[in-house]
Amino acid sequence: MKVARENLAWQKHQKQVPTVDDPGGKLWGCFRSCFLQSAAPYTEGIAYKILKNDLGMDLREAPGHTSCGAIGYHGDVSNLETQMVVAARNFSVAHHELGVDNLFSFCVTSFANYTEVIKLWEEEPELREYTEKTLKETTGREFWIPHVSGGRPSVVHASDVFFANRHKLAAKAKYSLKGIKAVDHIGCHYGKIFPGEAMGGAEFPQVLVGLLEAFGAEIVDYPERRHCCGMGFRQCAFPENRDYTASSVYKKLKSLKEAHPDCNLMLTNCPGCTVFLDAEQGTIKEVLEEEFNVSILDYAQLTGLLLGYDPFKDCGLNAKAVPVEPLLDKIGIPYDKSKTAEERRRPF
Amino acid sequence: MGKLFNELKQDILYQHGMNACLNCGVCTAVCPAAEFNDYSPREVMNICQSEDDELIEELLKSDKIWYCGQCFSCKTRCPRGNSTASVILALRRLSVRHGYFAESEKGRQQLFAKRVFGENMLKLGYTLLAENITPAHFPELGENWEYYYEHMEEMREWWGVPMNLENSAGSHRVIPEKDMEELRAIYKATGAMELMDAVEKGMEKKLGSKKEVEKYWQTWVETGDSRNYEID
Repeated sequence: MKVARENLAWQKHQKQVPTVDDPGGKLWGCFRSCFLQSAAPYTEGIAYKILKNDLGMDLREAPGHTSCGAIGYHGDVSNLETQMVVAARNFSVAHHELGVDNLFSFCVTSFANYTEVIKLWEEEPELREYTEKTLKETTGREFWIPHVSGGRPSVVHASDVFFANRHKLAAKAKYSLKGIKAVDHIGCHYGKIFPGEAMGGAEFPQVLVGLLEAFGAEIVDYPERRHCCGMGFRQCAFPENRDYTASSVYKKLKSLKEAHPDCNLMLTNCPGCTVFLDAEQGTIKEVLEEEFNVSILDYAQLTGLLLGYDPFKDCGLNAKAVPVEPLLDKIGIPYDKSKTAEERRRPF
Repeated sequence: MGKLFNELKQDILYQHGMNACLNCGVCTAVCPAAEFNDYSPREVMNICQSEDDELIEELLKSDKIWYCGQCFSCKTRCPRGNSTASVILALRRLSVRHGYFAESEKGRQQLFAKRVFGENMLKLGYTLLAENITPAHFPELGENWEYYYEHMEEMREWWGVPMNLENSAGSHRVIPEKDMEELRAIYKATGAMELMDAVEKGMEKKLGSKKEVEKYWQTWVETGDSRNYEID
């Protein structure tokens, strides 16, 4: 039954993302993430290296594109109208200045934000008119809507692009996840707001599982697999609210450890999950003296490790609360053992 | 049906988020915030559907609307296609516009949202900046993060993601001024500036003066906990 349901969900939700071998799949415009640039810049760094060096993509990014502003939208300092016009500006810059048709964002909240405004423009012609008019008046720019997935008005997320090219990446991998138990943690803003725009839907998202399977991992399941990490925008940003984040992480990881004590790898595609699912394990260790030792890796960091990039200099695993070395040893990825853990992480 | 409800239903976020709630409670069952706080998305939807201005005003002055983590787990599960998280966004904006946010501890935190996410965006075009993730406010990031924070520019070079590049692509680059002017014009034309100004004004009214607002802000910057500022 489970397989049948999974297949049904898959048929309903499959996205069309061109691979590098498909027409138009080599040239991409991309949008940067505020959260990653401030809390984990190396994840975009390793994603760039893989897309350019290993997949041969032409990635274009305008100096003048801005944040989508969605942290401020979910943090209540901007309006939906603001989000629509800022998105329209970024689309216009990418298309008219850089000549790109296919766009992805590194942040899942940007992905959801862009998806939301595109849907609003489709559903409510007056909002589209408002956006076109305001964009013209404030910036002089021409309105343009991207059609990335299957010719529909849409954008995609960077992890979708990795998923689309997963077999090519797996064929280039130096190391395999054979015999390694792993699980995905999908960013809420990737799968939950617009399940139809998530690769595989909200119940059985395939975007990260597909990548893990291509690398040979054994996928495990656990009750709280789809529970939010508790990032929560204003909740994680203000220290006095972060008990919510720590509690959410505790609930998730406790559930994982009860079901699969030997699973030490969780793959993420959301900037907030990547940072807080790891960092709060440090809090939990300190406050409750409980250790989960689950390495939280971003899809690009894991792909980078398996392709043979350096765990620290390239993949940026310098500041994780959970030390990554046990996982590297388990997979068989080499690193400089003549140095101490601290020396590997602190080059200066 | 009163004035507040009338204003609420003008908001596109409310119109798209509320399509007649059947009060089943699935939203509350899956809500991470409901699990840890005195918060129930079902209650929020009920109060909105009551169209009762007194109840709505009480809600807008409470901590409740600020507990939502904006994960939208409620939207995925609602059998009627409602989105409580979107209704929350509409309620929060209503609370800010009327100054009600300043009546609750969690609501007053909007000053930080405005001065961090909002002002970052207007100054540099990003909601978050590298310098915001201080070891003092994010102790859980640990000692290696402290080391990184102290060696921020050289560590970013080492990782191959140099910061503050001008007229260039890249992470944490300097967005050209002409583009920033366009962004500010959008924020002004779409009411975001007004929303941010309402936060400063509401806080000034609640705390009595601009000086007290600065004191409240400094308390948070220095201690990471606004509760260290005492309110009569």
